[in-house]
Amino acid sequence: MRKALLVAVRDYNAAVRTKGFLIGLLFVPIMFGGVFIVMKFTEGRVDTTDRRIAVVDHTGVVAPALIEAAERRNESEIHDQETGKKVRPAYLMEIVGPRATEMEAQRVELSDKVRAGELFAFLEIGRDVLAPGDDGDASRIAYYSENPAFDDTRHWLTSPINDRIRSLRVAEADVDIETVERLTRWMSVEGLGLLSVDEETGEVRGGEQDNTAAVLLMPYAMMMLMFILIMAAVGTLVTAIMEEKGQRIAEVLLGSVRPTQLMTGKLLGAIGVSLTMVSIYMLAGVFVARQVEASNLVPYGALPWFAVYGLGALFMFGAIALALGSACTDPKESQSLMMPMWFLIALPMFVWVPVVKEPVGGLATWLSLIPIYTPMIMLIRIASPVTIPAWQPWAGLVGVVLFTALSVWTAGRIFRVGILMQGKPPRITEILRWALRG
Amino acid sequence: MDVNAVEIRNITKRFGAVTAVDDLSLDVPAGSVYGFIGPNGSGKTTTLRMIMSIFYPDSGSIRVLGQEHHEAAMDRVGYLPEERGLYRKMKVRDVLRFYGRLKNGDNVSGDVDRWLERLDLADWADKRVEALSKGMSQKVQFIAAIAHRPELVILDEPFTGLDPVNLDVLQEAVLELRAAGSTVIFSTHDMSTAEAMCDFVFMIFQGQKVLDGTLADVQDRYGTDTVRVRIEGDATRLQGIPGVERITDRGQLQELRLQSGANSQEVLGAIMSSARVTHFELGRPSLHDIFVRIAGPEAEEASDA
Repeated sequence: MRKALLVAVRDYNAAVRTKGFLIGLLFVPIMFGGVFIVMKFTEGRVDTTDRRIAVVDHTGVVAPALIEAAERRNESEIHDQETGKKVRPAYLMEIVGPRATEMEAQRVELSDKVRAGELFAFLEIGRDVLAPGDDGDASRIAYYSENPAFDDTRHWLTSPINDRIRSLRVAEADVDIETVERLTRWMSVEGLGLLSVDEETGEVRGGEQDNTAAVLLMPYAMMMLMFILIMAAVGTLVTAIMEEKGQRIAEVLLGSVRPTQLMTGKLLGAIGVSLTMVSIYMLAGVFVARQVEASNLVPYGALPWFAVYGLGALFMFGAIALALGSACTDPKESQSLMMPMWFLIALPMFVWVPVVKEPVGGLATWLSLIPIYTPMIMLIRIASPVTIPAWQPWAGLVGVVLFTALSVWTAGRIFRVGILMQGKPPRITEILRWALRG
Repeated sequence: MDVNAVEIRNITKRFGAVTAVDDLSLDVPAGSVYGFIGPNGSGKTTTLRMIMSIFYPDSGSIRVLGQEHHEAAMDRVGYLPEERGLYRKMKVRDVLRFYGRLKNGDNVSGDVDRWLERLDLADWADKRVEALSKGMSQKVQFIAAIAHRPELVILDEPFTGLDPVNLDVLQEAVLELRAAGSTVIFSTHDMSTAEAMCDFVFMIFQGQKVLDGTLADVQDRYGTDTVRVRIEGDATRLQGIPGVERITDRGQLQELRLQSGANSQEVLGAIMSSARVTHFELGRPSLHDIFVRIAGPEAEEASDA
């Protein structure tokens, strides 16, 4: 064990005291922070050039209201209230009389104007929009622009037009507008958590408005942490093994330590690296949560499970990485062999949304009981507010422990042979034979 | 201390269909320098790895430093593998201390520093391994094998690729180890090194032991059947002399192997009749010649390497 620890300490130092580790450590927050900063940055950088919009109004009664609404908006919404700086473009509406006999020609003409930059877009309000009928063309409102799919302007136009149309319809029906509003008042369904009785005080708690952040963010954060935990360990191991094989260090080491000691040492070293990384993230996460007074979001109850599953996952994936790494002879090959493994590890990243949506559903339950997915998927389920059957985390744990023992044992047998292999890479069947025969 | 540092009894090792080592037995007396020779792929490295218990024999047994279960003796053995292995990003001194501690070496730091000084590497102690030249890293690797004061030192091709200065330094160091009481086993392709340094020579060919004994023993087995002559003029004049089995051109000298039963005096007479002889010597075959006789001419290139 002393020798295994020596190996572990060396590997740990070799991995942690590098620029790579620091870069890796900063990568995740920088990536997320970077996205946030870029979003903030681009938010203030919208195109504030005024937009001219031609309105061809076949009804003749909608366009004036639209001009009014645009003017109101230009006065109150396009400037930053504190700095007075213009942050949005003004909308300048201009009414164009419809040329009823040659509509197509008019559309082409207006399109050319948009292309030439004289107009931003043009809007055509059909004749029958007040009482839509069978004539499709006359019953629609069409917005023509260069990029109609992603267009804030079109989105903005919808509501003043509908307000106007509604009030015209109401007036026609001779009903009081307030009555209409009272009759059609929209009711939404609020999502609330379950109630519970405090055992000490007898007070009823809960029933609070459910926090989307807690429902989505926490399981996601837990899964990401678990993923980082596994990745850091696997990465460290594969790098270390590739160096030892490439530089023929393995044989020197095996002149001093048993393969099992070497493997144990490498595994412990990599686990140390990975725990260092994740501890830093966790502490930072809890710290930030306290700073922003969101510490009630931290699922402390799930943390012990994180710890045991994390440890299991580290040994399990670490052993698999050791076995695969030792069976490769150069880094290129190890990458191609690791690719399927990455897909295996990363699968939960693609299914986490359905799992969070239905933590007790079939997919979530079954995936969470497959040992290699238990650490991530079961954790998502535990961290979600839904109560999952109490036996499942334990069943998952048993699976993880058994599978971990199996993979460590198998990896040991492959490692013993593979670590001295040079030259031609072994075939999968050969690797299996090493595992079976030892 | 046991009489033998290593006792190998009937070991066989197969890799798939290939028998790398075939029913091999060998005793390495404590305190001796034992040379392993043999062409490439003959089983030298496999045998050394089995002594190191990196490989296990399929059958047979190995005792190292008196221990049947020789893992227990591992810390008392130093090993320099054929392929050098050092962590490129680590500093020279740190690598050596790490390897020394893995052997449970006491006071490795002191010994490491002493050897770095001794092999002229003190200035490089705090440099990273990747900055070293090939010869220097070989010396570093050598220190890694011996810094923990092993009783048995196993060196796989320790002298390959060294310049003459470093070669002398390492050969001296090996003899120094023996003087300090260590047993040294090394494999080599260079027959003159083996002749100069080894108390015993062991040759393995196609997995089997073909020679084992002191240099004198080995040479005696082949008798005095070698004539070395220097003649004036073209060496081709020696062609066709009766009683000569083979002529090897050694540049300044011509080495003639006599057919068994051939009379050396008659051969001398025949040479003198066709050329002027400036040197004539009757002797035992060189280790090189013996090596080639066993392994065949195709191994000659390898043995010259």
